[in-house]
Amino acid sequence: MIAALFYLQHHSARNRLVARFKRLKQPKYLFGAIAGGVYFYFYFFRYLFRGYTGGGQPVAAGIPPDYLPLFESLAALALFVIVVLSWLIPHERAALTFTEAEVSFLFPAPVTRRTLVHFKLIRSQLRILFSALLLTFFSRRFGGNVWIHALGWWLILSTMNLHFLGASFTRTLLLDHGISNRLRRLVVFALVAGLATLVWLWAKATLPTVTSADTADFNSILHYTQQVLNTGPALCLLYPFHLLVRPFFAPDAATLLAALAPALLLFILHYIWVVGSDVAFEEASLEASQKLAVRIAAVRAGNWQAARKNHKARRAWFKLAPKGPAATALLWKNLIGVGQIFSARLWIILIVVIVMVFAGFGGSTRAENISTMAGIIIAILLGYSLLIGPQLLRLDFRHDLPMADILKTFPLRGWQIALGEILAPVTVLAGFQWLLLLVGFGLVLFLPDKHESEMLAIGISAAVLLPVLDFLMLLIPNAAVLLFPSWIPSGKDSPRGIEATGQRLIFAVGQLLVLVLALVPAALAFAAVYFLLKLALGPFMPVPFASLAAAIIVAAEAGFGVMLLGRLFDRFDVTEEPAS
Amino acid sequence: MVQVEGLTKLYGEFTAVNDLSFSIQPGEVVGLVGPNGAGKTTTLRCLAGIIPPTRGTVRVGGHDIASDAIAAKKQLAFFTDEPRLFDYLTVWQHLNFVARIYQVADYEKTGATLLEELELANKKDALPGELSRGMKQKLAIACGLLHSPRVIYFDEPLTGLDPYGIRRMKDSILKRARDGAAIIISSHLLHLVEEICTRLLILKNGHKIADGTMAEITQKFSEQSGDASLEEIFFRATSEPVAPPVLPTETK
Repeated sequence: MIAALFYLQHHSARNRLVARFKRLKQPKYLFGAIAGGVYFYFYFFRYLFRGYTGGGQPVAAGIPPDYLPLFESLAALALFVIVVLSWLIPHERAALTFTEAEVSFLFPAPVTRRTLVHFKLIRSQLRILFSALLLTFFSRRFGGNVWIHALGWWLILSTMNLHFLGASFTRTLLLDHGISNRLRRLVVFALVAGLATLVWLWAKATLPTVTSADTADFNSILHYTQQVLNTGPALCLLYPFHLLVRPFFAPDAATLLAALAPALLLFILHYIWVVGSDVAFEEASLEASQKLAVRIAAVRAGNWQAARKNHKARRAWFKLAPKGPAATALLWKNLIGVGQIFSARLWIILIVVIVMVFAGFGGSTRAENISTMAGIIIAILLGYSLLIGPQLLRLDFRHDLPMADILKTFPLRGWQIALGEILAPVTVLAGFQWLLLLVGFGLVLFLPDKHESEMLAIGISAAVLLPVLDFLMLLIPNAAVLLFPSWIPSGKDSPRGIEATGQRLIFAVGQLLVLVLALVPAALAFAAVYFLLKLALGPFMPVPFASLAAAIIVAAEAGFGVMLLGRLFDRFDVTEEPAS
Repeated sequence: MVQVEGLTKLYGEFTAVNDLSFSIQPGEVVGLVGPNGAGKTTTLRCLAGIIPPTRGTVRVGGHDIASDAIAAKKQLAFFTDEPRLFDYLTVWQHLNFVARIYQVADYEKTGATLLEELELANKKDALPGELSRGMKQKLAIACGLLHSPRVIYFDEPLTGLDPYGIRRMKDSILKRARDGAAIIISSHLLHLVEEICTRLLILKNGHKIADGTMAEITQKFSEQSGDASLEEIFFRATSEPVAPPVLPTETK
């Protein structure tokens, strides 16, 4: 029976791979694969066998030997937290996720429950091996031996996978014995809280008291953490986790071999636990497979939003009257989609918190340093929000393209739909950026040389320019998704693979080029107004006026872009190949 | 109410719909039938302005769907076989959204009535993900009917409905027709077409095979007897020599 399941896995994987190679006949995938391949080579592969550190001292996982125990303890602690959460949070009965086809073929077949568990384990190995490979690519960049990394990651991921499965079986058994989720959570929480208290009491009793000078020095903090985690009850508590992560941190083959035996023993014990559990998972698995099928169907239909779990009804950001500009309806709809995370309440809370922080800083000697640091962070965030924000906030055509046929039945002109679609991400981005600017200006007040008027001039300029720049930045990917619907992933999630990464890279470069071209007239307008007014107003005061001139140019370009986008949408053929 | 002249839709070399002409009067219920790949959905999409025809014209309520799209689209509703809803809008938010799109001033009263009629009143705050397939279909119908369309297209309207839902859907279609709406139903369910359609349009490979009242079509394709069922007519019209073989119930 296992042979048949191996056959299924082997041929499914092979056919999937063949299909991906076949689609390279299409230029969009071929160019994507080339660009993706080049990116992966330069970012990961070239470090794979020759180390990022360039032949320095051999180090374990790229970590200096002095810090090795601390990193091992931190890794063990991270695993401990994950394991605790796996016992604390889930509430469902054990459900091995099968596809609907697997349920149809395997559940009625003369296959034992244990074989189904083995099938699940075999299948999860494909995912684990791939994840271990990717993680090795990443961690190898920082040094260490490639094979040790790969083996270490595989051991950690496989054992954790078995643990999650075993935990789900045990939770189900507890439920079957009348122990409710609430009781189980209470017990686990009490246990963890008790252990944490024990560690804290032990540290307080045996380790020197932490002074304010210690907390100011990062090395002192690290040293103290190392002492807490590597001695006393914490060491006992984290010991199994130390065993699991130790192979990953092995600096050489001999140490690896020594660390391998206990880690493998842990793995085997987990395997025995999982395979030995006789828990009825079929019913819950059936339900899970149906949910999975719905999600897959939604994803294949391009409806990624529907593929999300845990939908909640969200409040509208404003009341939508039945009469008025129709584009507002799309803004209203998409803002609901943005979700409660950006609700007015959150903005108010954020502002209140920031005001309180400022009030707390008032007169503090450390306020100046913190203000400077926070100012730098805000400037970086503003830059990122302009460049990355339009990629992350996709509640526009990129999200609604699978509903294009419905949008096309609306009695609206193309430009109205285009405007309505783009307004939501612009609103959210501009709101975020204005808030950052407000915070930034607030921080200026704590600086010794405040330069309030200069900072105000720059702040106003940024506040004027950023929304129109956001608009421009959002026009480009929206135009791209209408021009090349099969190239640009639409929806929340994205297709995976080297070629998909390559496609994204090609479009990122394209977007940057278009942006630069679009900014040339605005930059010229800025320069012209600035130099005209500089003689009369000095170096800073002309900046807002020059920015306004630039913003008008960008807004005109954006308006033209909306008209163009509307025409693109009017011409968009809904029978075009969807994003794959 | 709907005039179609020389409608042709090409996909590259492939002709999905070829030189199709017909018209529909208010109160008529036209059944659009044909085998898979006949061009039914493409025709409906062209009639709804979702895809542009390669050649030909479509007029809805006297407005050309290509040159005067806004006026034409204000008068129509298109119900797809799979209800297409926005996952993050509740039932009532859908109505609110559609009301603004179609500028329906009194949508609150009309919407509440529609939800009552469609037994969705207690699901006002539910998301589509919380609704059954039939309820989603009802919500799509409520959204489509909110602006009182004069032209309605249905693509496989009974898919996924239970017997109660089917009965209500049939009643709803007939009620709209009695109120003067021009209706086109695309379906493979020939008994549905036979039961509620006043006219039949048979397509095959993008061509119009037949267009007329049930009596005219029956007479045309029923040889001498004149009492053939729509199923028999369908097979004759679409040149199927015999009905597809019935699958054996048992395999030994």
